[in-house]
Amino acid sequence: MLKEVHMPKLSPKSDEYFFGTWQKQPGDAVKQGDILFEVETDKVISEVQSQEDGILKAQLVDEGAATKVGDLVATIEVNEE
Amino acid sequence: MIYIPVISKDVYFNFALEYYLLTQKRFEQPVFMLWSTTPTVMLGKYQDAVSELNFNYIQDHKINVVRRYSGGGTIYTDTGGCQFTFIQPDIASQMTFDTYLKTVAAALQQIQIPAQRNSRNDLVVNHRKFSGSAQYRHDGYTLHHGSLLFDTDQMQMLQALNVDHLKLQSKHIASVKQRTINLKTLRPDLTNETFMAELTKQILACFNHVDTYELTAEDQQLIVALAKHTFADSDFIYGKTPKSQFVKKAYLPGGGLVQFNIDLDHGQITNLHLSGDFFGDIDTAALNTKLQGTKYIPAEVMPKLAEFLQQTPILGITAEDLTRVIFA
Repeated sequence: MLKEVHMPKLSPKSDEYFFGTWQKQPGDAVKQGDILFEVETDKVISEVQSQEDGILKAQLVDEGAATKVGDLVATIEVNEE
Repeated sequence: MIYIPVISKDVYFNFALEYYLLTQKRFEQPVFMLWSTTPTVMLGKYQDAVSELNFNYIQDHKINVVRRYSGGGTIYTDTGGCQFTFIQPDIASQMTFDTYLKTVAAALQQIQIPAQRNSRNDLVVNHRKFSGSAQYRHDGYTLHHGSLLFDTDQMQMLQALNVDHLKLQSKHIASVKQRTINLKTLRPDLTNETFMAELTKQILACFNHVDTYELTAEDQQLIVALAKHTFADSDFIYGKTPKSQFVKKAYLPGGGLVQFNIDLDHGQITNLHLSGDFFGDIDTAALNTKLQGTKYIPAEVMPKLAEFLQQTPILGITAEDLTRVIFA
């Protein structure tokens, strides 16, 4: 089953963030807690972790792009038991 | 609270020390350090070195270039200023961005410096900035650090960060220029050393219990390795911007007008086209081929230009002249 990853709210002051770097590539296995990507908001660098176990299917935001809270960032194929 | 005295003025070591404490040492108590470095420009994690730095000035004045793991803009610092660092686990009672700044501001007020916070989370006196802060969050820990201008060489600061803005495009975090002030103008009776000692005393007084931790020989060894392999690594410092394009041009007396159209990808030259009204039988495609893949750093570009000009000279223009145009 395909699960969507949306940009979480990381700053109380702003809803638009600078998308830093991807830490996982399409096809990589990801586990809950693995760092998926890094963003910058108000001089703060934050890491966003995966909430799922599975395979990263698609990166839907480019490094260096502006993203908003709620934007679809990635999809993860999760294993169905 | 754990206080760690820092003797080193090597910025690569000191940033590695922060990173080591954050990622490996992981104390359960909050950590505080106050430190200083030799002349250095510090880029934010996602800043474009090309857009922020005056490469020629930095090379001529032997200024260090380093990249932080935290966000925000580029700053200049030297032994006339200092940096404060707080590191702590993300627990319920953790300090927020605001609390760190309040702590530093309150400590400064105790030494008769009327510090206030502004809307950009900077510390100011009379609306003039003397301190900027940034954070990095990693695996359950937050690192908050900031700079303090006490007796920093402001002329050198202006020159090192004075960039010719001919850039066409580059995706990065841009710095915000603000009016600054050295705190020594408010406390001329202090040296930077006595200022740092006073500030440390006042910050530690904000906490109920303070232990001092001295770095062990093993700590030092691990930090030195981190400094070398990460913070002093030119790929980490210069290779952060995915892509940028810009034009550099200048009239060189005795040589003529030269213009470079340059494309970079992660700090490496992907395209460099030379044009102008200079006199010489230059094969610009061959020059492009020669420079492709070279790191955009004067020390890497100049030897290649020198080799090229040995084969096909340009009348009245040296490799050093061209390097200064490229990095102006």
